[in-house]
Amino acid sequence: MNAVVRENQPSSVLVSLRNLNKHYGDFTAVDNISLEIRDGEFLTFLGSSGSGKSTTLSMLAGFETPSSGEILVSGSSLINVPPHKRDIGMVFQRYSLFPHLNVRDNIEFPLTLRKMTTAERQKRVDAMLKLVQLEAFAHRRPAQLSGGQQQRVAIARALVYEPRILLMDEPLGALDKKLREDLQDELRHLHRRLGITIVYVTHDQEEAMRLSQRIAIFSHGQIVGLGSGYDLYQSPPNAFVASFLGNSNFLRVKSVANASASFEGQSLTTVPVGGLTAGQDVLLMLRPEKIRALSVEAAQQTALPSGWNEISAKVREIVFLGESLTCNVVTPGGTELTVKSLGSGLQNVQPGADVRVRWAAADACLYDQWNDADLSKGAGAH
Amino acid sequence: MTALRTTLVDTATSGKARLASDRWRGAPYLLPALIFLGLFFLAPLIGLLLRGILEPTPGLSNYAQLFANSAYSKVLFNTFAVAGLVTLISLLLAFPLAWAITLVPRGWGRALLGIVLLSMWTSLLARTYSWLVLLQASGVINKVLMAFGVIDQPLEMVHNLTGVVIGMTYIMIPFIVLPLQATMSAIDPMVLQAGSICGASPWRNFFRVFIPLCRPGIFSGALMVFVMSLGYYVTPALLGGAQNMMLPEFIVQQVQSFLNWGVASAAAALLIVITLALFYVYLKLQPESPAASATAR
Repeated sequence: MNAVVRENQPSSVLVSLRNLNKHYGDFTAVDNISLEIRDGEFLTFLGSSGSGKSTTLSMLAGFETPSSGEILVSGSSLINVPPHKRDIGMVFQRYSLFPHLNVRDNIEFPLTLRKMTTAERQKRVDAMLKLVQLEAFAHRRPAQLSGGQQQRVAIARALVYEPRILLMDEPLGALDKKLREDLQDELRHLHRRLGITIVYVTHDQEEAMRLSQRIAIFSHGQIVGLGSGYDLYQSPPNAFVASFLGNSNFLRVKSVANASASFEGQSLTTVPVGGLTAGQDVLLMLRPEKIRALSVEAAQQTALPSGWNEISAKVREIVFLGESLTCNVVTPGGTELTVKSLGSGLQNVQPGADVRVRWAAADACLYDQWNDADLSKGAGAH
Repeated sequence: MTALRTTLVDTATSGKARLASDRWRGAPYLLPALIFLGLFFLAPLIGLLLRGILEPTPGLSNYAQLFANSAYSKVLFNTFAVAGLVTLISLLLAFPLAWAITLVPRGWGRALLGIVLLSMWTSLLARTYSWLVLLQASGVINKVLMAFGVIDQPLEMVHNLTGVVIGMTYIMIPFIVLPLQATMSAIDPMVLQAGSICGASPWRNFFRVFIPLCRPGIFSGALMVFVMSLGYYVTPALLGGAQNMMLPEFIVQQVQSFLNWGVASAAAALLIVITLALFYVYLKLQPESPAASATAR
């Protein structure tokens, strides 16, 4: 990451990607990626399809050769090492088990390619079968297993030779929601128990949040956000990440002074941001659950806490979603905001009513640079 | 191609257990085909088998005569040696060809397949005669080799078993390429990637993963070629010599030259029995149906 982290944990970096590029003709699939993967961490590449995450994973596995750049594992280059000598485990999206071998032979396959006694092989395969709870299915062919069972075999086959790194390319994409969540929990426990480094690729942000310690968000072949799910969600480094991860409201405001801005003529308090000139266009991002909407009467009764902002708006629509209530409001200037409320605070509000919208200045994020295309969902693909 | 694959899949599903009531539901529709087969295949076949034990006198004298004759056992040996050799060589040649058809970009693969099919559709006689032209003592190959000084006198490549093997291998290659290519194109390339990431070098990946996955295609192609080679007549008759006969030539000779219908029938019956026995062995060796890997995709 940076010098400070490295000094504190000298052995912590396992894989370094340095200025990695992959071009297909004119098309740039991976655009100058640099990333350090720590030993034992669960890192997820998150991005929409075509964002370069799978290509990066393929280069790590050795199925694709980088156009330029370097891949280092424990300090030595992997660029000229063929896949079978990389000592990496991989779980594929469509499982890719060997259809001609039964479950036990599938798991044993990597071991038969290594110098190992039969007893040792048996012991390891048995341990793996137990780990993925498939002892009873050891003699079945892959075609006789359900999708979830096949994926567990694939995981066992990737783990049995104790690789340094486990790559997973959307491994749960083909499974239904319930099974996916069960396997996500299993995977998280497995990672905690084995302490193996896992690089996981997915386009499902909930899955990324649920599984990983760090998430790398890919867009147009670049990593546009890197950090824990919490950090990326609470303080996104840029407008794209804010829009891509979870739901977000964007307010176009004008900077007035260091810690104040104006929105549709109303003055707002913001967190102090350096480097802004007065009159500059700034994008203010608010998570829907950080905003409160109060009816006009309720707003009069409750004083505005210090450090909070209040603007007026009109309710357009209220949707009840079980655990939460979502309210769409429109400001006089036509900016739409989504307010998400877990409690019963919005109960008295009807569509068409005037409301006061409040938020704490500390909960808003400010961006002085953004691309309008990034603000819509589904951006990030080529 | 598609037609071939559907028939393979059909055999796979029929192999699976079904309810007894379902099993005979479509039986009436078999009737026209059964009547046709009965009249034009089974009846003459039974007639042939009967001739083998009834002519000239009832009994097993024809079979006794066959087994007593060392010339006949040599014919039998020739037949199996040629069929085995042809199967082996066509497999070795057809495997890379099928692989190339599978791997090259779409249009090129189809063009290659077109060439294979075209050679199959060309008249058998024309193709066999062209081999005669190529292989004979004053043929193109011998002339070129002699002009380059590789050999001093013409190689005898025709009117012997060498010619038969060369000619028949050429004719049989499509029969292996077609099923093999169907099997190969059904293999998920990701499975091979999985093999290599598991630690298999390209060679090991080929022998431990790719070849086993190709096995259904290899088996069905090889069986088809072997059985067809056992009963092949035209090519051995044209490219082979009078010295080393194959079984079909022997049968024709018995009928046409010696009018010995009894011995000819007995020899034909033996060929049928041997073929059936081989087919049984094939079914035993191949527990999964030829389409197993294709459906497991």
